[in-house]
Amino acid sequence: MKQIEVKEASFAYMQDDDANRIALNGVSLEIEQGDYIAILGPNGSGKSTLAKLLNNIELPTKGDVFVFGINTKNEDGFWDIRSKCACVFQNPDNQIVGTTVEEDIAFGPENLGIPNPELRQIVDASMKYVGLEKYATKQTANLSGGQKQKLAIAGALAMNPSIIIMDESTSMLDPNSRDEVLTLVEKLRHEKQITVITITHDMYEASRCDRVYVMYHGEIKKVGKPSSIFLERDKMLELGLDCPSHINLAHRIAKITHSKLTQEDLVSEETCAKRIIEMVKNAEFDDVKSYLKPDKNIQEVEPSKTIMQIENLSYSYDGDFKAIEDVSLDVREGEILAIIGQSGCGKTTLITHLNALIRPQEGSVTLICSNMNLSTAEKKHIKLLRQEVGLVFQYPEYQLFEETVYKDVAFGIKKMKLEPEEERRRVLEAIKLVGLKEDILEGSPFELSGGQKRRVALAGVLVMRPKVLVLDEPASGLDPRGRQGMLRIIESLKARGVTIILVSHYMDEVAEYADRICCMKDGKVIMLGSSTEIFEDIDKVEQMGIKVSRLNMFMRLMLKYNSSINPNVRSVEDAVRQLINTKGVELC
Amino acid sequence: MLKDISLGRYYSGNSIFHELDPRIKVVMFFTYMVTIFTVNKWQAMVLFSVITIAQIVIAKLPLKVIISSIMPVVPIALFIALLNMLTIREGRTLFEWNIIVITLGGTRKAILMASRLILLIISTSVLLTLTTTPLKLSDALEKLFAPLKVIKMPVHEMAMMMSIALRFIPTLVEETDRIMKAQVSRGADYDTGTIIARTKGYITVIIPLFISAFKRAEELATAMDARCYRGGEGRTKLNPLHLTSKDWIIGAILLVLAALVLVLQVINV
Repeated sequence: MKQIEVKEASFAYMQDDDANRIALNGVSLEIEQGDYIAILGPNGSGKSTLAKLLNNIELPTKGDVFVFGINTKNEDGFWDIRSKCACVFQNPDNQIVGTTVEEDIAFGPENLGIPNPELRQIVDASMKYVGLEKYATKQTANLSGGQKQKLAIAGALAMNPSIIIMDESTSMLDPNSRDEVLTLVEKLRHEKQITVITITHDMYEASRCDRVYVMYHGEIKKVGKPSSIFLERDKMLELGLDCPSHINLAHRIAKITHSKLTQEDLVSEETCAKRIIEMVKNAEFDDVKSYLKPDKNIQEVEPSKTIMQIENLSYSYDGDFKAIEDVSLDVREGEILAIIGQSGCGKTTLITHLNALIRPQEGSVTLICSNMNLSTAEKKHIKLLRQEVGLVFQYPEYQLFEETVYKDVAFGIKKMKLEPEEERRRVLEAIKLVGLKEDILEGSPFELSGGQKRRVALAGVLVMRPKVLVLDEPASGLDPRGRQGMLRIIESLKARGVTIILVSHYMDEVAEYADRICCMKDGKVIMLGSSTEIFEDIDKVEQMGIKVSRLNMFMRLMLKYNSSINPNVRSVEDAVRQLINTKGVELC
Repeated sequence: MLKDISLGRYYSGNSIFHELDPRIKVVMFFTYMVTIFTVNKWQAMVLFSVITIAQIVIAKLPLKVIISSIMPVVPIALFIALLNMLTIREGRTLFEWNIIVITLGGTRKAILMASRLILLIISTSVLLTLTTTPLKLSDALEKLFAPLKVIKMPVHEMAMMMSIALRFIPTLVEETDRIMKAQVSRGADYDTGTIIARTKGYITVIIPLFISAFKRAEELATAMDARCYRGGEGRTKLNPLHLTSKDWIIGAILLVLAALVLVLQVINV
């Protein structure tokens, strides 16, 4: 008997105007006990709906879903299915019911009516399994994002499930927590033979699974082992997805060297590394320049062009613990400056100083282009400052409030009392900058998709024509296409001369674009330099506890086969150059 | 800026008060509330204050936490005190200027009212909010009101609602702070302008806050469904409430202390 069997299942969300939105359209799949499955697909492709059908939260409008051989439409099996099929959702905050850690873990088994002392044993064992036993009676609200997701896993585990569905559970975490959660889930699968179904935008996560389902517009477009799915890179791009960076590199090298990749080459990172080395070894690079793509235009702007100066800045919320300490940093005109660090390293505290949302306690922030000291500036000047330094927080879509997109975008310039034509011109300009069309202006911002909402929120800051734009994790939670789109917007803004400060957990995200990188840890700047300098010293950055990109990890793996490779690359194109370099071909 | 509100914020610790059965605490909270509003003699007030301070010490609550829980009501207490001082005209006149007359009786009353309010808040914090987790508190209420189930009151559901509300206070407070910062960054202003303009300004916070709260509610409901929540029927408890002899003794002591205050109020010393 298959553990899960979905037969021609469809699902439509009821909508007010009777025009039901079809989320799933004739999906069929089979999953066996102990499988490790990834479901990929762009936003709105029906992945989460599928998960809800498996967990019996929704019933298919057409077709059938069988879990443990029981049809989900059969009411007698209802609770059996739900209790054996646990879910971990995306937002850590929105799935915690209990105020303390142990009370939250107990919520599931309490619902099942498990009596003490068995209940206590289950809770303690689950808590220990995920490593939260130290926090048993601590408040859930004070846990970090990664700990909250571990708590959610413990809560799921306490139900003694046969299946765990991870619905984008790692997308809001920083890289260290993400890896911890990933390891934990894989451990669960090995030790307890639990079936794991992971819904994800992270192609690397998918590459570790046994089987991948690719969804698009409510249908399953592709099924197979990750190696066969990622072999067809063009098809993946067409479906709004991508490949893990090491597989992208393999495809790129195969194209340059006119070689062919096979499924066996992509089975693991090891095989992939071997194959890349082999392809490079056998190839002759006579006309290299014709197939190398130009690198991103990265350069270090001269120090003389400093637009903003931060000196010895310290800040403490409670007068005791310093959220940032003695931070000195210069921001130069027209550059992309990346600020990298784990959650809680003080990044957000630092950037809220830049438009005087909080005033410096010690040290100073000076906006050189307007000759303004943010510690002493008067209130009316601060308002002007906020036009010049735009700040876009994480998940900015949550700040939308107006009836129409136009009004929302125009909010930032309303107080300037511009002529209506001028106002309209600026709104249009902002909307174009974020790659949206004019026809959405009169609609409600709340009816847009997640990615569009985020662009509207960004336009609401760009409308003020800031000289400096601070972006906090602008791509987090987006699917690969949305992510690419966001990075393209950033590039085009840079091309227009906007100075950009890009805040991120992930080296992967900023490596390709940043001119300079500032690494933060425990409220301090631990390294600051041009992108090239930072990458030359990436080992030191890593020792400081900042995760290097996955491409870097992969390049290190390749060192085993060819020790002349320089693993400290910023991007796939950079890696291609490094590999060709090992053949002694002159590139420039 | 909004992070300091201690309403619904449990302060974890291991004192007698933290371990005391929440039902006793709820009953005692009502007893003390009635007591504080019955007394008006200074002797009884002093005794009540001493008892409250002793409770703080025994509950091992740091002064900082207590102060932060009083701070929100200080303006109200001051306002009430001022009102009493200006309107009540009894006894010797202490100060007179134009229409402002301050009398000894008025001042006494003002001090009494203000300290009553503050003592009430401290007593509530010590007995309930700071030492009892919201889940325990709602457990207690569920048990205490259980007889009402007979008349079809959804007692379990109401207790659940309360504990979820309390659980989400810190989350929503943080969210409000974040939204305000985002709106201020694009020109919103909550500190200047007319009252009407300011009130209007808050729309920029309220709407996003509501939208996100609804989204959270929907996601939480799904998560609860996925964890087999189906109402109170057949649910067990990890930490079921057990009244031990220790609970009864502490309850009795608290009751005797409240009674002492009332005795002091009634007899003539």
